[in-house]
Amino acid sequence: MIAREERVPRSLRRFALPIGIALLAFVILVPLTSTDAAQQAGLPLLADKLWFRIATTVAMFVVMASAWNIIGGLTGYASFGNVAFFGIGAYTVGVLVSSRGWPFPLALIVAPVTATVFALIVGIPLLRLRGHYFAVATLGIGVAVGEVVNNLAPLGASTGLFLPIVRSDLLFFYLMLGAAALAVCSTWLILRTRFGYGLLAIRENEEAAKIIGVNTNLYKVAAFCIAAALTGLAGGIFAQWNSFINQENVFAISDNVQMILMAVVGGAGTVLGPVAGAISLELIIQTLAGGGSKAVYSQIGLGVLLAVCVIFIPRGVIDFFGGQSRLSLRYLRQTLRETSA
Amino acid sequence: MSQFTQQVILGLLLGGIYVAVALGFSLVWGILNIVNLAHGALVIVGSYITWDLFTRWHIDPFLSLPIDALVLFVIGYALQRGVINRVIRAPLLFTFLLTFGINLIIVSLLLLIFTPDFRSVTPSYSGNGLHLGSVTIPYIRFGGLVVAFLLAGAMWTILNRTRIGAAILAVGADRDAAQLVGIDLRHMYALTFGIGAAFAGVAGGIISTFQSITPTAGDPYTLQAFAVVILGGLGRVSATVLGGLTFGLIEILGQSGPGPGYANAIAFVVLVIVLVVRPRGLLGRLA
Repeated sequence: MIAREERVPRSLRRFALPIGIALLAFVILVPLTSTDAAQQAGLPLLADKLWFRIATTVAMFVVMASAWNIIGGLTGYASFGNVAFFGIGAYTVGVLVSSRGWPFPLALIVAPVTATVFALIVGIPLLRLRGHYFAVATLGIGVAVGEVVNNLAPLGASTGLFLPIVRSDLLFFYLMLGAAALAVCSTWLILRTRFGYGLLAIRENEEAAKIIGVNTNLYKVAAFCIAAALTGLAGGIFAQWNSFINQENVFAISDNVQMILMAVVGGAGTVLGPVAGAISLELIIQTLAGGGSKAVYSQIGLGVLLAVCVIFIPRGVIDFFGGQSRLSLRYLRQTLRETSA
Repeated sequence: MSQFTQQVILGLLLGGIYVAVALGFSLVWGILNIVNLAHGALVIVGSYITWDLFTRWHIDPFLSLPIDALVLFVIGYALQRGVINRVIRAPLLFTFLLTFGINLIIVSLLLLIFTPDFRSVTPSYSGNGLHLGSVTIPYIRFGGLVVAFLLAGAMWTILNRTRIGAAILAVGADRDAAQLVGIDLRHMYALTFGIGAAFAGVAGGIISTFQSITPTAGDPYTLQAFAVVILGGLGRVSATVLGGLTFGLIEILGQSGPGPGYANAIAFVVLVIVLVVRPRGLLGRLA
């Protein structure tokens, strides 16, 4: 969480826009070739089922990492309870669709609202805490909400909730992609407003921010709520996409750690850092992931990766693309010296 | 009434376990400013050592506790010296993530070595207890409580009556000043973490006597150690003891209310209330 302004060298900037547009067009158009209509029209099949699952999961983590970045990266409050927002969003859609018979789009609009209301209620007392205390109090919220959900009969208790299956890989891919775009754009917008500068000021020195007139409490709670709304939205989409939710798959603390990890590995406090982190880490995790006995090795791999990233590249991989640093032995030695005893 | 007395006794016995688990956690947090998310994993390493010695050579679980302490001290010293020292001056999120990674690695290694099967240590006296009227005190839990108090005494003695303890407290109070008077910081960090791990190992040994252990059984203990430290307040052995016993009581009495499924939820609601109302804990001192 070390402040770094993003600066792209001019030579790169000239190509950035066309390359970005081309990539985006590619990501949006490739999936279209896998519909039945496209097949009949004779387009080559460029993406298969597995690709959709992975791409949608990556987009989901882009949302979660970017949302975490707003409260953890920009404001400096390391929340370990964001997964509670994900779960609340998922359960909102779950209950409304499966028990109340609401149509999914309508339920999806409610998901971020309930998550935000929850964030408002717990955020006001919790955001008075700092450092470790905030981290673990939010961790406790995540665990506690999951446990309560696991015990409530109207929420399916430990069995979980089943939603009517909607078979459309395309729909969920685009929904997640839309949510990811929303999350990234929100971060970008926030960083260009008075609000964003206020958040950065809070991260750097909360007392000083207060003295120069930043309404710190309001700003912190607002950032927390925005993060909650985005995460809740992702949870809502996940509920219908997966068509089955229970405590284990939507309130997993490991998901929370994963989103933090993605934001930090990519570069916390930047717009594109969490995106880079989410894409690269999720792809690594998917590659390492193996069924049965292999799962243990992937966990060890993840742990080692985590340790190496934290020790050697604390500013995130995005640091190498900003034109300020280059990945070299000297850089690694320097970051090591900055923090070690 | 006797039912209530029984609950209180069970709560205190459980609280003793939390005291044992939280002592090392509190030391590492207070001195090194590291919230060690691998603490629960270290506890379970201790449990597995006790289990291994018991099943292989029939060594009584209470006799294997010093071995747990020794092995865990070496592991803890090496971890801090080799790995965690590298990020000791980084923002807290980094030590948080690093210890989470270490936790992941230890748990996975335990899975590889010991498989995910439930293991239990069952000495001949494990089912017996002392009957006082309608109240029962299981021997093994009582032994755990005694060990917990011995641990608390040992921690107090180390910190307040030895040169090493004085050096550890000096590092906790002011790192730079400690270095100026000739304390080797790297060694002291590693020593502190090693002592914390050793206490975790003994706690794990006790835990194996009354609970089936699996490689992932340690995770709840990390959270509970944190809750105990928050509840009591950071920086004093007596605060950890009070926090642990209170937490055990809250958990047992809370379970008899809304039901056993809510143990964590109750614990954390209490935790959050304490954090917001009295951020320094019941016995906490000024930071």
